[in-house]
Amino acid sequence: MLRVEKAAWDTMVSHAEKTFPKECCGVMLGSGSVVQKAVPLANVYTGPQEDFFVMDPLDLHRVDVEARQAGLEILGVFHSHPDCDAYFSKRDLENSCSWFSYVVLSIKSGRFDHANSYRPDFDQKEAPKEELIYA
Amino acid sequence: MPKILIPTPLRQFAGQQDSVVLAGATVGEVLEALTSQYGELRRHLYNDEGKLRSFVNVYVNDDDIRYLDKEATTLKDGDTVSIVPSIAGGSAGIAAPPVTLSKEEILRYSRHLIMPEVGMEGQLKLKSAKVALIGTGGLGAPLGMYLAAAGVGRIGLVDFDVVDFTNLQRQVIHGTKDVGRKKLDSAADTMLDINPYVEIDRHEVALTSENALEILKDYDIVVDGTDNFPTRYLVNDACVLLKKPNVYGSIFRFEGQATVFAYAGGPCYRCLYPEPPPPGLVPSCAEGGVLGILPGTIGLIQATETVKLILGIGEPLVGRLLLYDALAMRFRELKLRRNPECPVCGDHPTIHKLIDYQEFCGIPNQPHEPAAVEGDIDPVEVKAKIDRGDPFVLIDVREPHEYQICRIPNAKLIPLGDLPKRVNELNSADEIVAHCKSGVRSAKAVDFLKQAGFRKVRNMRGGILAWSDKVDPSVPKY
Repeated sequence: MLRVEKAAWDTMVSHAEKTFPKECCGVMLGSGSVVQKAVPLANVYTGPQEDFFVMDPLDLHRVDVEARQAGLEILGVFHSHPDCDAYFSKRDLENSCSWFSYVVLSIKSGRFDHANSYRPDFDQKEAPKEELIYA
Repeated sequence: MPKILIPTPLRQFAGQQDSVVLAGATVGEVLEALTSQYGELRRHLYNDEGKLRSFVNVYVNDDDIRYLDKEATTLKDGDTVSIVPSIAGGSAGIAAPPVTLSKEEILRYSRHLIMPEVGMEGQLKLKSAKVALIGTGGLGAPLGMYLAAAGVGRIGLVDFDVVDFTNLQRQVIHGTKDVGRKKLDSAADTMLDINPYVEIDRHEVALTSENALEILKDYDIVVDGTDNFPTRYLVNDACVLLKKPNVYGSIFRFEGQATVFAYAGGPCYRCLYPEPPPPGLVPSCAEGGVLGILPGTIGLIQATETVKLILGIGEPLVGRLLLYDALAMRFRELKLRRNPECPVCGDHPTIHKLIDYQEFCGIPNQPHEPAAVEGDIDPVEVKAKIDRGDPFVLIDVREPHEYQICRIPNAKLIPLGDLPKRVNELNSADEIVAHCKSGVRSAKAVDFLKQAGFRKVRNMRGGILAWSDKVDPSVPKY
C-alpha cells in the first residue's frame, strides 16, 4: 500500500498536466508507506519525450542527499502516460528497478484521468500492482 | 575512511543502516567490502558476470564514477560513495504516432539496418530524432550532410549568414554557384539532395539570449558549430537550462577539440572555461586562418557523437575532451570533471536564465562600418597624398605571408610584432600612416608609436580591405 498526501499528490498531477503531451517524471519522498513530498524532475531523454522518460541520475542523487538531511526517504518514483492508460508497459518493466514504487499517472487531453502504483520485481519480469491511496 | 550511503530500499539488507563506513582505496574495493559483509546486497548491485548492474550508478561525492576512473576511482578519507539507480520508462509508443520506414527508406538505410547495433529500432530512433545545428559553416557543413544522410528525421539549422568565396575552402555543403545565397537555403538544398526523407527547419536568425530557449526547446540534441565565444557560452547555458546535450567542437589553424557538454551528470563548457578569454587574445579563424579539412574531421566527430547519443550505443564523449593535432596527426584526451562550483550546472547554480553574452565576453556591440576615430585617415585620402607626392611613410604592419597575397605600392613592411625592435628604422619627424588588413593591428601600431614619442602618426581606416573597396579593386581581398 502506498498513500500519497494531498500536497504531494497535487504537485504530481500538476507536473504531469503541465508537461503534457510529453511524459513527466519525479520522485516521491516520505517515510514508511506515506508520501509526504513530491519532487518534479526534468525528463532528460534525448529522443521523443511523448512516450519515454529518463531521469538524470545526478538529480536523483541530489534529491536523495536533501531527503536524508530532511529526515525523509525516497519511497518511489512517478511518471505520466500522456493520452493512454496508467498501465506498467514493457518499456517500464525493462527499465525498472525493484527498489521503488512506481506511480503512473494517466493524463488524457491534458487532464488527469487515473493512476496506479506498481512494485516491479527483482528480475524485471513482473510488476504487481499495489494499492494506491491519494487524497 | 570513506562512507557509503545505502539507498532506503536496500537498508533491510545492510542491517537497517543508512550508511556504512568501510576501508578501501578505490570504489571497487569499498563496494567489494560492502557486499562481502552484507551478502544479500551483492545481487542487487552486481550481475552474474560480477559487473555493476546496468541501472546502478555510483557517485563519489557529486561525481559519477563513469566520468572518473570507474571502479578504479580512488577514494580518500571523508569521501562519500552513493548508489543511485537509473530510472527510466514510458508508455512505449502507444501515444506517439507510429514511425515507420518506407520501402525506399529501407533500401537507403540498408547498411545501417543490417548492423544489430542500429537495426530497424535504431533507424527509427534516428528518424524520430530532432537535432538543432547551430551554424552551417565549417563544422556545420559536414555535420549537416552526414546527419541528413544518416536519416536524422528533423534537423533545425540556425544561421543568418550569406555564402561568400572565402567559405568555400572548407564549407563543403555550399558550392561556387551558391555564393551570395543564404547559407540556410544552400545548406538545406544540399541536405535534401542527399536525403529527401529528412525535414529541415530553417531558423534565419542570430541565436540570442532572447530567442535561444524558444528555438532549442523543441530539439533533443544541440550541436554547436559556432566560432565565437559569446555564442558558445549562450549555447552552453541554454543547453544546461533546457537539460539537452551540447555536442561541442572547435577549430583553430591545425588543431581542434570535441566533447559532449551538458549531458546528464557530465561537465559543461563553463566547467572547462569558467571565464571567456580577454577579447582579441584568441584569434578567430578569419584572423588566424584554418586548415580547410580540419572542420571536416572535427565536425564528423560531432556527427558521430550525435548519432551515438540518438542510438544510445557506445561510450559517449562525456567528461573527456578530445584534442586533435592535424600536423602531428595525433589525438589526445583530457579528462573533464563537472565543477560542483559551476555557476550554471554546479550544485548551487547562480545563473538561472540567459544573460548578455556579448557583455560577458567583454565585446562591445561593434558598428558594422569602422567608425571614424580621431587621427584615422581614410584610404581615399591616403591615395590622394600618394598622387600629390606628399612626403610621408606608409608602413604595413601585417605578416610577411599576408604581404605576399597583396600589398599597396611603396608600403614598408614592418610586422606588428617586429615594430619594437625596428622602431629605429622610422623617423619621428616624418609623417607616418600605418595599415594592416582591416585596421585593428595598425591601430595597435599607432598606439605603440605614439607612446614611443611619434606625433605625426595615423591609422588607415579599414586597412587594405577598405583600400580594395575604395581605391583599387584589383587588390585581392582575403
